[in-house]
Amino acid sequence: MTLPQAEPSSRSRSPFADIPVLLVEDDEVLAQVVAGALRGRGYPVEIVGTGGEALARASATEPKVVVLDLGLPDIDGIDVCRRLRRWFEEPIVVLSADGDEDRKVTALDDGADDYVTKPFSMAELMARLRVAVRHRQAQLSPAADGVRLGDLHVDVTGHRAAVAGEPLRLTRKEFGLLSLLARGHGRVLTHRALLDAVWGSPDLAQTASLRVHITQLRNKLGRGPHRPRLVSEPGVGYRLVTPDPPEAPDRDR
Amino acid sequence: MRGLPARQAALVGALAVGLTALAVHGLEHVLGRPAQALLLVVPVAATAALGGRRPAQVVAALATLTFSLLLPPTGRPIVRVADDLVALIVFSIVAFAVGGLVASRVDALARVEQQRAILLRLVSHDLRTPLAAVVGAASEARDADWLDDAGRRGLLDIVVEEGMRLDRLVANILSLARIEAGALQPRWQAVDLHEVVGQSTRRLEAVAARGGVALAAELKRELPVVQGDHVLLEQVVANLVENAIRHTPSGGTVTVRGEAATPEQVLVSVADSGPGVPPGEAATIFEPFRRGGGPPGLAGVGLAICKEVVEAHGGSIAVRDLAAGGAEFTVTLPVR
Repeated sequence: MTLPQAEPSSRSRSPFADIPVLLVEDDEVLAQVVAGALRGRGYPVEIVGTGGEALARASATEPKVVVLDLGLPDIDGIDVCRRLRRWFEEPIVVLSADGDEDRKVTALDDGADDYVTKPFSMAELMARLRVAVRHRQAQLSPAADGVRLGDLHVDVTGHRAAVAGEPLRLTRKEFGLLSLLARGHGRVLTHRALLDAVWGSPDLAQTASLRVHITQLRNKLGRGPHRPRLVSEPGVGYRLVTPDPPEAPDRDR
Repeated sequence: MRGLPARQAALVGALAVGLTALAVHGLEHVLGRPAQALLLVVPVAATAALGGRRPAQVVAALATLTFSLLLPPTGRPIVRVADDLVALIVFSIVAFAVGGLVASRVDALARVEQQRAILLRLVSHDLRTPLAAVVGAASEARDADWLDDAGRRGLLDIVVEEGMRLDRLVANILSLARIEAGALQPRWQAVDLHEVVGQSTRRLEAVAARGGVALAAELKRELPVVQGDHVLLEQVVANLVENAIRHTPSGGTVTVRGEAATPEQVLVSVADSGPGVPPGEAATIFEPFRRGGGPPGLAGVGLAICKEVVEAHGGSIAVRDLAAGGAEFTVTLPVR
């Protein structure tokens, strides 16, 4: 018995038809579920079950995004990620069964764009995919001077930020963190990546200091229905979550 | 040193410590107690190195060291051979006993700890994948408003099937834990193998169908009743059938057969039309935490459980490649 292919509605078909997905998952049932959900939203999907096939098919078909399970029977998923990243420039979203934050961090530091932890809702996976694809596209276009997220406005070149029109008084590090998180909104940024960019060295001994700055930044941002939220991903990093994304709300956070 | 078994290494180490302690003991008139203790560090360190720094060896050596330091000072020069020889023999026996006992105990604890760590990792990985399919399919059935009835039903079928798969995995984990704890106790009753095979194949029909595998049961009508644990024997057949389905490509067949081999023995076999057992793996296929080529997984645990359960029933299990292709697992059970 195979899963009947859902007909994509006109609403969800158009935006993703030209974003072919390479799904690397060795569990056949889970692969069917994820592929069905992707196809239902209009993404073309190819499924492979091993790291070796993933590397071969990625170079043959040049997918626009790779969904990669870290637990594969032949090659460790982190190695697959590392080897893909030698030449593959499109987003990689990792599926992790470990609950093991260290492996997620390694995957992210080795080139993965984001991750979802098993078990996950399809909405959560789709949200991560959209964010990852959007950021790749944004990297190709010239950097914007300002980022507007809900009622938060970050003027990157002018080193200014405001919520609901009120200017925020931020220290240099707080502004550095906010502008990084705002430009990468929706995406997880690892402790290492944030420390490297804002502190100037990826020294994880500074993680406590990072946490203090994040807490201060979170307090200064405040709360509100249109305010982005600064979400901690314990053991991994931080993510600035936009309020009410247009589709598939991120229910779990 | 990996070549020496833990117990043996511990005994050799304990003896080395004991001998040195005795020799140092005789130097009482030359050395103070602190200097003696310092000298004794050498054999302890050597023992630790000998044991590859395993805790068992270190503990054994330290136990012997403490013991030797508790000996009353003799104040005699080492040259009084006869007395010392008696002391040495007594000392060695005690060192053997203490060192060996401590070593085997610590080794057993370390082994349990290691197995627990592996089991935890397996549980976290192998249970989460079917859970991910359940949550994924259920969330999609709820959220994807463009699905028609057939699409939604397909997703709900997955929820049910994966729920059953989780149940089988949990049963295997429990059995494994019982086996490791030495607490696998069959509940003896008269078992009809027709029922056992029928129930386990019925439960796996959906799995076979999803994999495009035909599942057939060919049992002789007259099968002797065996004494055994119905639940455990069903788990054995289910594990063998699930393993066979997993290794059979779409379009293949899995066949369960049952027959009385002799008046005292009944055979249950599960044959598949897959690639057969990879060379070199037949010897280790019933070991837990093994999965061909890749990282260990609960999938490999199923066969290990089969072996333990069958042996607890006084039977045996074997695997062979079929001439026509595929593998066949055969369980032999005594008729009592």
